[in-house]
Amino acid sequence: MSTLLTHIAISDGTIKRSSLEVLSYLRQQADTHGHDAEAVIIDAAASDFVEQVRQYGASKIYTVEDPVFKNHINTPLLKALALVMDKADPYLFAFASTEGTKDILGALAANQDAAVLSDVSAFELTGDGIKATRPVMAAKILSENEARGDKILISVRSGSYEANPKGADGEVVNIDFSIDENEIQATLREIIGASGDKVDLSEAETIVAAGRGTRDEEGQRLVTELASVLNASIGASRALTEAGILDPSLQIGQTGKVVSPRLYIAVGISGAIQHVAGMASSKVIVAINKDPEAPIFDIADYGIVGDLYKVLPPFIEELKNIKR
Amino acid sequence: MDEKFDCIIVGAGIAGLAAAMILARNNMKFLLIEKGDFAGAKNVSGGVLWGTDLARLVPEYWKEKDGGWERFINHRRLTFMDEQSTFSLDFKSSHFDEPPYSGVVVLRSKFDRWLAEKVQEAIDESDYAMESFIATNIKVDEVLMEDNKAMGIRTGDEEFHTDSVIIAEGVNNLLSRQVGLQDDYVPADHMLTGIKEVIRFDQKVLEDRFQLDGLSGMSNEFVGYATDGVEGGGFLYTNRDTISLGLVAGIKDMREKEKSPHDILNHFKEHPVIRDTIKGGEVVEYSAHVVSSGDKRVMPRQLYKDGVLLCGEAANLLINAGKAIQGMDFALRSGIIGAETIIKAKEQGDFSSRTLQEYRQALDDSYVMKDINNFQDAVHMLHSPEMYRDIPNLVCDFGRTFFTIDNQPTQKSRKLFSASVKKHSSYWDLIKIGFKGAKSL
Amino acid sequence: MKFYICIKQVPDINAPVQIKNGDLIRDTDRTVLNAYDASAVEEALVLTEKNEGEEDGEVEVVLVGPDNASETIRKALAMGADKATHIRTDGNTDYDSSVYAKILASFFKDKEYDVISCGKQSQDTDAGLTGSMLAEYLDLPYATNAVGLQMEGNQLIVTRQGDAGREVIALPGPCLVTCSNDMNEPRIPSLKGIMQSKRKPVETIGLETLEMEEADLQTQTTVTGYREKPEREAGQKFEGDPEELAHKVAKLLDEEANVI
Ligand SMILES: Cc1cc2nc3c(=O)[nH]c(=O)nc-3n(C[C@H](O)[C@H](O)[C@H](O)COP(=O)(O)OP(=O)(O)OC[C@H]3O[C@@H](n4cnc5c(N)ncnc54)[C@H](O)[C@@H]3O)c2cc1C
Ligand SMILES: Cc1cc2nc3c(=O)[nH]c(=O)nc-3n(C[C@H](O)[C@H](O)[C@H](O)COP(=O)(O)OP(=O)(O)OC[C@H]3O[C@@H](n4cnc5c(N)ncnc54)[C@H](O)[C@@H]3O)c2cc1C
Ligand SMILES: Nc1ncnc2c1ncn2[C@@H]1O[C@H](COP(=O)(O)O)[C@@H](O)[C@H]1O
Repeated sequence: MSTLLTHIAISDGTIKRSSLEVLSYLRQQADTHGHDAEAVIIDAAASDFVEQVRQYGASKIYTVEDPVFKNHINTPLLKALALVMDKADPYLFAFASTEGTKDILGALAANQDAAVLSDVSAFELTGDGIKATRPVMAAKILSENEARGDKILISVRSGSYEANPKGADGEVVNIDFSIDENEIQATLREIIGASGDKVDLSEAETIVAAGRGTRDEEGQRLVTELASVLNASIGASRALTEAGILDPSLQIGQTGKVVSPRLYIAVGISGAIQHVAGMASSKVIVAINKDPEAPIFDIADYGIVGDLYKVLPPFIEELKNIKR
Repeated sequence: MDEKFDCIIVGAGIAGLAAAMILARNNMKFLLIEKGDFAGAKNVSGGVLWGTDLARLVPEYWKEKDGGWERFINHRRLTFMDEQSTFSLDFKSSHFDEPPYSGVVVLRSKFDRWLAEKVQEAIDESDYAMESFIATNIKVDEVLMEDNKAMGIRTGDEEFHTDSVIIAEGVNNLLSRQVGLQDDYVPADHMLTGIKEVIRFDQKVLEDRFQLDGLSGMSNEFVGYATDGVEGGGFLYTNRDTISLGLVAGIKDMREKEKSPHDILNHFKEHPVIRDTIKGGEVVEYSAHVVSSGDKRVMPRQLYKDGVLLCGEAANLLINAGKAIQGMDFALRSGIIGAETIIKAKEQGDFSSRTLQEYRQALDDSYVMKDINNFQDAVHMLHSPEMYRDIPNLVCDFGRTFFTIDNQPTQKSRKLFSASVKKHSSYWDLIKIGFKGAKSL
Repeated sequence: MKFYICIKQVPDINAPVQIKNGDLIRDTDRTVLNAYDASAVEEALVLTEKNEGEEDGEVEVVLVGPDNASETIRKALAMGADKATHIRTDGNTDYDSSVYAKILASFFKDKEYDVISCGKQSQDTDAGLTGSMLAEYLDLPYATNAVGLQMEGNQLIVTRQGDAGREVIALPGPCLVTCSNDMNEPRIPSLKGIMQSKRKPVETIGLETLEMEEADLQTQTTVTGYREKPEREAGQKFEGDPEELAHKVAKLLDEEANVI
């Protein structure tokens, strides 16, 4: 019987859904293979989240609580993670693939001499390790990977699994933590463009993504209106974030975020492979583009060939009617 | 940096690479400049490099483990097409099986890169290993002239000085015009668009389908329905595990008939015979490029002036006379001759037209200009409506009746032929074409 | 100021590939300088240029890879890096991030520097591990996913894209940073740059010259094969009057796709 441990990521006072997806799947794997599914919460207010994590069936919940975790700083986080690993001795330690995870995964693996696979889209346990699928070459193809050893770290792309609640009265284990200021060499000076209460793109159900075709004021206005009618989050191609028109955190793709909403509407986006890498697993893709040869149409379920300035106004009207 | 080069070559296509190879072997200090990310990056013309000149650049290239070429040609086919049928002249011979091959199929993005590596090796072995360069991702904006003599090039705000410039920029001859060797206005009716798809098969399937053995390959040219009534023709070449399928179509004629290259290619691919030929293949690449018709009337009046030479398609050295498109072999040979001329100029310490006119002389004496001159009529014929419309219809009509056995008394073939002629073209026209044809071959 | 940039040669992801019996077959062996590393080089060049006059800034690139990676090294030198070290791996190309990080760590052990800069991830595998692993092995303060860098005395001010927004972090030197391509547009080498690159020093060393244990070169992960992604079929594509299209598609989204 080994431990399958899930890291619960918290951002802006809420648990990232993708962590719960990972926990749900690991709990299922634990059930099938006779292991324990446990979870760890590292946060300034870790205990606030225990109840919710319990509902997803963790049989043990480690908490590490310290004000230092209010913001993401890698040194204390790594120290806490190492402590947790000593305590829980997990055979597999899984993370949701957030920016916070990407920041520390390699360092933790090096510190723990663990095998590591990042950004997997599917995985399963084998006798002596895990097998995992990773999208590679800008998500053009999938690679099959194996990680061996008695300590394995992975990060899992959001949307790879479903988050299913399943009640359990998991035991809570509080891990003592303290860190000396001198140990932290880096100082966080400020956070710019904090996302506030906006829905994290990687968890959004509906996304309206704006590309170079929408770069003027009118285009932006139409995109905003479309998003508000659909109650959607706004995403962007690099063309717009690079030009400073939309916030860099909204970039979707290889450099930006990976999203998998139920509905993805690409407005004035050509569909470069680096963009598609971040959105190809959306359930329904709609593309509006005036160029009939734009590669985005190769993956769109509904393609509208036309000028967005002419298509969007009636489209928005029609959607309003439907919503009513 | 005030280093002066013996020569700066603009364009790492076949012509530029051939010239560079000769310069490197002869210990010249030169620059080869290519605007693409790498040699071949911008090149779409997967085709047949005809003739044996490649062995002059890379001796025994066929022994290279992974040479840049795809297959050697031992099987050729010329196909006439109407809406439903094809009628082919087919020639295959083991005579062509031994190196030096008389034609190899190449995919330019791979071939040019390979050839550039060979040139680099030659540079590394030359006296100017540290001073000669192949520079990619650099666009030459201007050939610097002084007193009507080329003395350098400019890229961005950098200038480089040289005794001579070889312009091997291909068909978009901006620099040739800038130095005043090419007219500013090239009539559209002498320009064609070449478009090509690379279609992938399982290698075994490909080899079975085209009866290929080892690295043998086939080239197939098409006239008639291929271009949907537009001036031009189609081609199919077998690569290792892909085929290059495409066509060249007159830009003006296309415009008049309101057709796009893409439409015509789709039309070609939907022909029942082509459809069967490409069944199960997957399109992995699509590209389009302008190509000249090979009409001598668009050739620059002169191919050199003080300090500068035009090689390859920059000088419109190309013919497309139905049986094959020849542009790469001409580019290769003209690059060789151009470089040899520059070497001579250096020996004589004179890069003026006095020495450089020998380039034209040598080119005239070579098969390049001889063929271009001799096949002009064939070129005109190929680009006449008779050739891309009437003849294929006639030939296919004849073929259809000739090969039909329908339990009726069979007519003699001569009678069948004249019936087809009546249907598709007047006798008088046919005589004209016959004359033209006979004259041109 | 001394910058070391770890640069990697990666296959061009735009080139077509096919998969046969689980093997990845590339149409060409064409490779490029990892785009994120190009951004790291660019940023280091900008920062050291800024510091000119104060003291000599130096940018050195390090690449672990096969013989044929020299073109990639030249590219970085042509951009403006001062010198390079090529750690040759000869035949072996199946290393994972962890082995590369160990190799780099043993290379850096006795080196002096202010900043080590990596790409945030490899363009072909998107692993994104090597940078922070290397920082851990070298026990350096680090930040990943930088979208902006600045020098402030001997502190490196990193703006990184994090979950909560852009975090501005001050790192004391020596430190390590991994760069996103969102921070700049890497320069295209000029012809002069290309010409100069040939004369810049490239030191080539073999793995055997580094102090490493046999086990350090053993990967803990392996790629066992490749698969096509489940093909996403192109759906319906509509052309015509914008009003009609808008109505038609809105209706389909509502009634057929059920996503409104
Ligand atoms: C290493 C690397 C990583 C990258 N990572 C990312 C990434 O994470 N995310 C990302 O998005 N990109 C990324 N890119 C960049 C990517 O390659 C593309 O350059 C980018 O996605 C293009 O954005 P776009 O589609 O908005 O712009 P374009 O490609 O310019 O397309 C604009 C489209 O809008 C259409 N259009 C214009 N006007 C109208 C109109 N009036 N009506 C309708 N349609 C119109 C045009 O037909 C065109 O198809 C990366 C590149 C590299 C090298
Ligand atoms: C679809 C198609 C099929 C063809 N099939 C065949 C065939 O089967 N057989 C055959 O023999 N011929 C064929 N041709 C013709 C053949 O491709 C050309 O004749 C040949 O490529 C000419 O070679 P070149 O070296 O003169 O020019 P190119 O091969 O065009 O090379 C010119 C190079 O110069 C570079 N360049 C241009 N301007 C600059 C600048 N300012 N600065 C830096 N670099 C510059 C370009 O990027 C290019 O790489 C075909 C052509 C087409 C379009
Ligand atoms: N073989 C290598 N040589 C030099 N740097 C490397 C190498 N492999 C990885 N790196 C660095 O690590 C980054 C990518 O890490 P990863 O995504 O884990 O492969 C690259 O952008 C480089 O900066």
